[in-house]
Amino acid sequence: MTAADPTAGGQYAQYATLSRPRKGSTLASWLSSTDHKVIGYLYLITSFCFFLFAGILAMIMRAQLMGPNNHLVSEQQYNELFTMHGTIMLLLFATPLFVGFTNVVMPLQIGAPDVAFPRLNLLSYYLFTFGGLILVFSFLTPGGSASFGWYAYAPLTSSVYSPGIGADMWIMGLVLSGFSTILGGVNFVTTIFCMRAPGMTMFRMPIFTWNALLTSVLALLAFPVLAAALLVLEIDRKLGAHVFDASSGGALLWQNLFWFFGHPEVYIVALPFFGIITEVLPVFSRKPLFGYKGLVAATIAIAGLSMTVWAHHMFTTGAVLLPFFSFMTFLIAIPTGVKFFNWAGTIWRGQLTFEPAMLFAIGFLVTFLFGGLTGIILASPPEDFHVSDTYFVVAHFHYVLFGTVVFAMFSGFYFWWPKMTGKMLNNRLGKLHFWTLFIGFHMTFLVQHWLGVIGMPRRIAHYPDLGAIATTLNDVSSIGSFILGASTFFFLYNVYRTARFGEKVTVDDPWGHANSLEWATSCPPPRHNFTKMPRIRSERPAFDLHYPHVKQGRSSLGVKQSLSASSSASSASSARE
Amino acid sequence: MRRKAPMRRKALYGAALAALMVALSGCTNNQFTRVGWPNPITKQGKVMLTLWQGSWIAALAVGVLVWGIILWACIFHRKKNDDLPPQVRYNLPIEMLYTIVPFILIAVLFYFTAKDENYVDKVSAHPDVTIDVTGFQWSWQFSYPQYKVPDSAGDVTLIGQPYPGPLPVLEMPANRSVEFRLNSLDVVHSFWVPAFLFKRDVIPDHTNFFQVTATKTGWYIGRCTELCGVYHSLMLFKVHIVTPQQFQQDMQAKQIQQQAGGVQ
Amino acid sequence: MKVEGGLFIGCAVFFGGADIVYWYFSHDPTGTTALALAVGLAFLTGFYVLFTGRRLPKRPEDDQQGEIEQGTGEMGFFSPHSWWPLFLGLSCGLAALGSAIGWWLFLLGMLCVMFTAIGFVFEYYRGEFAH
Repeated sequence: MTAADPTAGGQYAQYATLSRPRKGSTLASWLSSTDHKVIGYLYLITSFCFFLFAGILAMIMRAQLMGPNNHLVSEQQYNELFTMHGTIMLLLFATPLFVGFTNVVMPLQIGAPDVAFPRLNLLSYYLFTFGGLILVFSFLTPGGSASFGWYAYAPLTSSVYSPGIGADMWIMGLVLSGFSTILGGVNFVTTIFCMRAPGMTMFRMPIFTWNALLTSVLALLAFPVLAAALLVLEIDRKLGAHVFDASSGGALLWQNLFWFFGHPEVYIVALPFFGIITEVLPVFSRKPLFGYKGLVAATIAIAGLSMTVWAHHMFTTGAVLLPFFSFMTFLIAIPTGVKFFNWAGTIWRGQLTFEPAMLFAIGFLVTFLFGGLTGIILASPPEDFHVSDTYFVVAHFHYVLFGTVVFAMFSGFYFWWPKMTGKMLNNRLGKLHFWTLFIGFHMTFLVQHWLGVIGMPRRIAHYPDLGAIATTLNDVSSIGSFILGASTFFFLYNVYRTARFGEKVTVDDPWGHANSLEWATSCPPPRHNFTKMPRIRSERPAFDLHYPHVKQGRSSLGVKQSLSASSSASSASSARE
Repeated sequence: MRRKAPMRRKALYGAALAALMVALSGCTNNQFTRVGWPNPITKQGKVMLTLWQGSWIAALAVGVLVWGIILWACIFHRKKNDDLPPQVRYNLPIEMLYTIVPFILIAVLFYFTAKDENYVDKVSAHPDVTIDVTGFQWSWQFSYPQYKVPDSAGDVTLIGQPYPGPLPVLEMPANRSVEFRLNSLDVVHSFWVPAFLFKRDVIPDHTNFFQVTATKTGWYIGRCTELCGVYHSLMLFKVHIVTPQQFQQDMQAKQIQQQAGGVQ
Repeated sequence: MKVEGGLFIGCAVFFGGADIVYWYFSHDPTGTTALALAVGLAFLTGFYVLFTGRRLPKRPEDDQQGEIEQGTGEMGFFSPHSWWPLFLGLSCGLAALGSAIGWWLFLLGMLCVMFTAIGFVFEYYRGEFAH
């Protein structure tokens, strides 16, 4: 991210001393940057800050829940806490994080010099940031922030039951950041369709790019519905319309519209992170990805099906077609299972090493599996009737969301840090980070399944009637959450230490055996990504470039080969299926 | 290989022991065998409980298999030397297997789901008792349209206050079909009696119905489970299930009481 | 462009089928409308991509034997840096905040949006870029 020109040197060296960066010029260059990598870093940093903020809100909630009748915060404040925690985590952390990772990595993976609309990219970042700031500043209004839960059911959100400007700021902040995501989706789809390098056919693109493409499609389908519903809600509140009034059937109308967005939204925040895991696992198993086409098909199936399951969030309303939504939800389990087996097939009989990126990827596999299983149970209405809207659901979605987004985020950070910054994060600190996070997470959320089934609803500040077992379980959960929160310090310290004292990476591929195209350019890449590009003949162009002698596929069975070129293998240029 | 063999054997013995313990515990009925659910006190609840138990057995079986594969690979497929493992990219028969088997699993689960769902949601035309439940911020009102208060237009009605109370009490008979009609005066609430293993949302301008037949008497707690405002956590109620004779007596007593002195 | 277009058309077909089944069993106007609009979006995009693809020659990125040299030459204009997104973003923020705070701020915000949107769109058609 320096202002230095990568072509400096040679005939221009004499001019190098004439340009010294002015104070603040790095900040200015970032704020006006049209480089997808810089915009990606902006997104990653900003969404991580929102993550930290929402995490603190969570720890305040967990502290309140350490006793059945605590008064650490008032009931009103507690409602604000969980509303903002949910909203920020899903819409100001996980969704922009997808945009951030895609911005940084996707153009490099397809061999493009930038995204299709670079200034629109920067505009999307600003819409997200300013929308997010409006949302967070609603805490400072006299009536407090929104307090109706992140899915904002009508008529609780009307001006009658939620007066106060905090709710309006929540709505408009989300409208802005929603537009940001829509524009980002347009940008990514166009880039992937129109700016790939020669030879980079659709079925040679890395799975991360495929997932980014399908996520962008989902964003285009889902976010306009949210934006429309939010704007209509604001019109109801400010201009006296009656669209979401109970008497116009507004309660169910809002729920249907919201969940039509809300369910694809959780796949929007899941699919790109599945993509990150799919990039990491082959590299640290030293094998290619298992079942590439199956993974593409499964991701397309998940994306398509996710548009048809929205009312499984509404089973207890008694107003939805139970068998349709139950069946579609069960169907989604199949491509998700296929992905799982493909990941398992990738690491099976590999030569695994456990750098932090790989640890986090395995952590994701272990965690998401359990969340997926509880999801299948929730997909069955007779089982959902008891546990819906309880801590069982809270536990389920934290397993799938945290397990996917956070574990894969850290995996992606440790994996791509050298590509982004030119330095490697420290391994020892990374392992400490992983284990404290893993232990803290499971301690927090495993017991919440039990809390839900014994009768603790979600979104409650007190649980006076649940007995001593609930207090004990809540205490375990809260202590776990503090450990989880504390684990972040290992990461932040690692970032600081690497920035100050880290050794610069001098090769394109510091991991040694990475696959996709971003590992065929320098760490960090030049302004427009590639000064030269290898021939692309498979889904692992960087590996093919660095190790052309390695046999692939069936011709590699029973053959002893290693990364270093040996004379016997030099004649066979890698056989492709 | 000598170091690894005892480890594998220990793992297998451990798994067998765990399976035996789980199988033996199936002979009793406790919170562990109900996978945490309260003991159901309605006919519909019993049906839902068996589905829950069966689903968990299937889910855990799948989980143990997949976790097993992942952990096995992490332990036994670690990097031993600098050889590249076989660079296999796909295996069509295996991929088809793990697409079709999950489909069969969810088809079976869907069959039982649909069957049980139809039973739970069944509403007969002539329930024995009807109760009008009205939710409002932040407590409940229960009315009995079959028990009119003499000399007035109203039904026997009980109303309550948020915790600490006094909480509203919903009285109903055991062994009779009871229909609940749910209405809200303001925002969306949800009517949940954990012992019924069932909840239904209470939506303004949208009456919801469901029927249960209770099988046990006693006192049970009920909660609101849809965020409805500031005191959502305190919107509790009590359920008192009595014998049908007791119920008749209590209703008649209330009719007289409310004729004299208004709603409780 | 066949794979890309097919992806969207495939989605449109799937959503259309699901929508018909859904309407038949539920007669729910909300979900049916939402899915129908999703069909529209997917079909529109897919049709446009296929239609455009048909009149384009075979692109090097769709060629399994594509050589990097085939992609030489000018790729297009990439803006080196720009301050207009910040200004336009700030204006949108003002307008959004104005919707919450009061109509006077909303009007001010929309005025700023007008000016900054024009500045953003015409940035590379004005001044030294005019022709």
